[in-house]
Amino acid sequence: MDREARRRLEEYRRNEAGPIENTLIDEFAAGEFDRKELIRRAGIFGVSASVIGTLLGALGEAPLAFAGTEAAKAGGRIRVGIIPPPAHGLDPYTYMDQGALETGGIAGEFLTRATQSLTLLPELATSWKPNADASKWTFKLRPNVKFQNGGTMGADDVVATFKRLVGDPASQAQSAFKGVLSPDGVKKVDDVTIEFDLESPTASFPYLTSSTTYQAIILPAGYQPGTFEKTPQATGAFKLTSYTPGNGAKYDRFAGWWGGTAPLDGVDVTYYSDDAAVTAALLGGQIDLIGQIQFATGRPLFGNPNVQIFSAHGATHREVPMRVDLHNPLRDHRVRQAIALTLDRPAIIKTLFNNLSDIGNDSPFAPVYPSTDKSVPQRHKDLRKAKQLMAAAGYPHGFSITLTTEMTGEIPQLAQIIQRSVKAIGIKMNLQILTATAYFAGTQTGPPSGWGNTPWLNAPMNITDWGHRAVPNVYLVSAFESKGVWNAAHYSNKRLDALAKSYVGAVALKDQRKYEKQMQLILLNDTPVIIPYFYNYLAAGNKKVKGYQADALGEIYLSKTSLA
Amino acid sequence: MGRFLLKRFGLAIVTLVLLSIIAFAAAQLLPGNVGRNVLGGFATQQSVDLFNHQHGVYGPVYSQYGRWIGHLLHGNLGTSLEYNVPVSGLIGPALRNSFKLALLAFILCIPVSIVGGVIAALRQGRPTDRIITVSGLSLTAVPEFVTAIVLIVVFGVALKWLPVTAQAPPGSSVFVQVKYLLLPALALTMVLFGYIARMARAGTIEALDADYTRTAVLKGLSKRTVLRKHVLRNALLPTIAVVATQVGYLIGGLIVIEKLFNYPGIGLRIYTAAQNKDFTMLETGVLIVGIVYLVATLIADLLYSLLNPRIRYGAAE
Repeated sequence: MDREARRRLEEYRRNEAGPIENTLIDEFAAGEFDRKELIRRAGIFGVSASVIGTLLGALGEAPLAFAGTEAAKAGGRIRVGIIPPPAHGLDPYTYMDQGALETGGIAGEFLTRATQSLTLLPELATSWKPNADASKWTFKLRPNVKFQNGGTMGADDVVATFKRLVGDPASQAQSAFKGVLSPDGVKKVDDVTIEFDLESPTASFPYLTSSTTYQAIILPAGYQPGTFEKTPQATGAFKLTSYTPGNGAKYDRFAGWWGGTAPLDGVDVTYYSDDAAVTAALLGGQIDLIGQIQFATGRPLFGNPNVQIFSAHGATHREVPMRVDLHNPLRDHRVRQAIALTLDRPAIIKTLFNNLSDIGNDSPFAPVYPSTDKSVPQRHKDLRKAKQLMAAAGYPHGFSITLTTEMTGEIPQLAQIIQRSVKAIGIKMNLQILTATAYFAGTQTGPPSGWGNTPWLNAPMNITDWGHRAVPNVYLVSAFESKGVWNAAHYSNKRLDALAKSYVGAVALKDQRKYEKQMQLILLNDTPVIIPYFYNYLAAGNKKVKGYQADALGEIYLSKTSLA
Repeated sequence: MGRFLLKRFGLAIVTLVLLSIIAFAAAQLLPGNVGRNVLGGFATQQSVDLFNHQHGVYGPVYSQYGRWIGHLLHGNLGTSLEYNVPVSGLIGPALRNSFKLALLAFILCIPVSIVGGVIAALRQGRPTDRIITVSGLSLTAVPEFVTAIVLIVVFGVALKWLPVTAQAPPGSSVFVQVKYLLLPALALTMVLFGYIARMARAGTIEALDADYTRTAVLKGLSKRTVLRKHVLRNALLPTIAVVATQVGYLIGGLIVIEKLFNYPGIGLRIYTAAQNKDFTMLETGVLIVGIVYLVATLIADLLYSLLNPRIRYGAAE
């Protein structure tokens, strides 16, 4: 063991590290997780690269190695196809659709950025540190960062951005911060220091400040709603210079970017509303990159020698909630289990995604999360057991039920697969496939049962699309906790509620896994929701595109991208 | 003639009023709540209610209709609920784009179709007639999205001769714009050829059999003169009416073509507005396409009455 490294580590533990950092070091020394996970977790708690290097040296690991970046060819404008176009304005805190987050994300930056492996990288914050129970977080901001309108970014701007995210009724990030942060909890310490005083301990809080909260683009304190598309005022490598709703957008390289000079001169975005059109545009050489593709509609791109597919594992999934509170057979958990047991999940992901997907186990704990305990048995297709459960529940000959869902992506095909699968246990399933507009129409609060009258929160059984999150907290709090705002199954389990609260506040990975495993087992038994898969986020480009990586949420990050 | 024009104009106004009511009522029938649709399924109820109030989507339907019409009469097309920008800034360029595509399609389609129809009539019953008639019918029977995809795959993807996106880069010359619009215009030509050629063929055959043509031939006029002065002038009357009815389709009905070629025309704008419950954009778009359609029909009626005096005399009686 390197004596000097050990001395520096002890010094760090004594003088700088708090209980959270020391727990992290102890866990790693005890072999609770590997080197890769240490680097990821150290990122969450804001431990600097030099301390990680010291820790690795002290514990006999090889030192940190940083990959050299491929020499990028400078110049050129990349042509990007985005589908679908932003559904409304471009004020970052109002983003709720793919087109808007991709469009704004090209120009905007966050305090931290989440990578494909869920590691957090410093962006507009250089470091962050929790107090002893992770209920208070202090962020140091990067000095001398310029906004594209000429101003200098400081603590006032970050405070204003987060107060707006948390407190503005039009903010689409409120669900992410609900129960975690209130406007009063965002405080300026000095010009380059921010403190977040949380409503409850949240060990994963830095993720909420990252690119996975895609609304959290840092804007000037004096930002006026409706001006994002008119005046360049973000901090990213490219500034938005023109925007035509539904048609396209143009970006030029921002000379004052804190990160230096981006290889590309600019970005030309064209919006598409048809999958065939955007696929043909890439194959016909009219665009270089498509921000998001689907396997089902972009098949000509797969296996094409002139196309490269960018893939990112994530937690994007479809939920099939079954109402537990109605007077129908779904009220019995054995019936819900039986339905889940009819699904041939490997065949489903092969059909729908050509295997570019992870299999789900009817809980929101995607395999991509380090806290997911993989020792919990995977649910497989088992028709014999399913029939036994149906008979035990008093439905040996099945029953009729309606599955309501939306015309989004592969969801109609999934609905048909479920319809065919449950036929094997005698269930006659009627499909009601609505437009997304009709599916999400109506109220979400109030009578008759607290979730208003919208189909997606009140149908006996449905399928809803859920986007990627770097940590599963939002899924737990909103879709599984009793009275959760998006709890479409109307499920309630006090034990799960308590475990979810413990999980969100747990600092040590072993504690997170302990709570997570218990929640997985409860959800497998109760089966309020079926989650058949977590599919990969896919993008596609021609062979000229270099240095691009897909993001699990679909952010298009081009500051290191170049054209060959 | 003045009375004829006045009558046609009056009918156009009544049609427009009815159209505005139908467009508004149809928009109300679309499922979903405007605020919920714009802000999404995961938006809080509070932000949905706030949005609806801020954008005037409240109160009885008739008062909403009144506000909309009132603004229209003052030249205010309203603000797009979806993009929160003036509708005029979105409809104007879209209408211009649709006109460009329609114009090129007409330039390609009408001469070819009329010449094809006249040749088929002059060669009635012969192989040339059969080839033109069967080809035209076949092309008309193939759905436009199939024709468009075949053109995209062959000329855009495989041969890479023409761009598959119809929108030329900003500031492009007329030549470049034509190059970008060629594939969708070809797709439209293929769709319309059979229909227009068939009308031209039928009109020509009827005119060739008419007494005035026989008289002209017996007078000793050359075949060319008979064809130009007597046959074509009469044969093309029904074709003009057919062409006029296609104007509305070409300006506002090219949703599939505009989607496939990613062309920001008014058809695509209206379709997106209907999808996203963008009332102001949808109602204004439908009304503008209606106006275009009425103007085209009015011009066709005028041409028809100029070429065929019986029409205006009939109207005046």
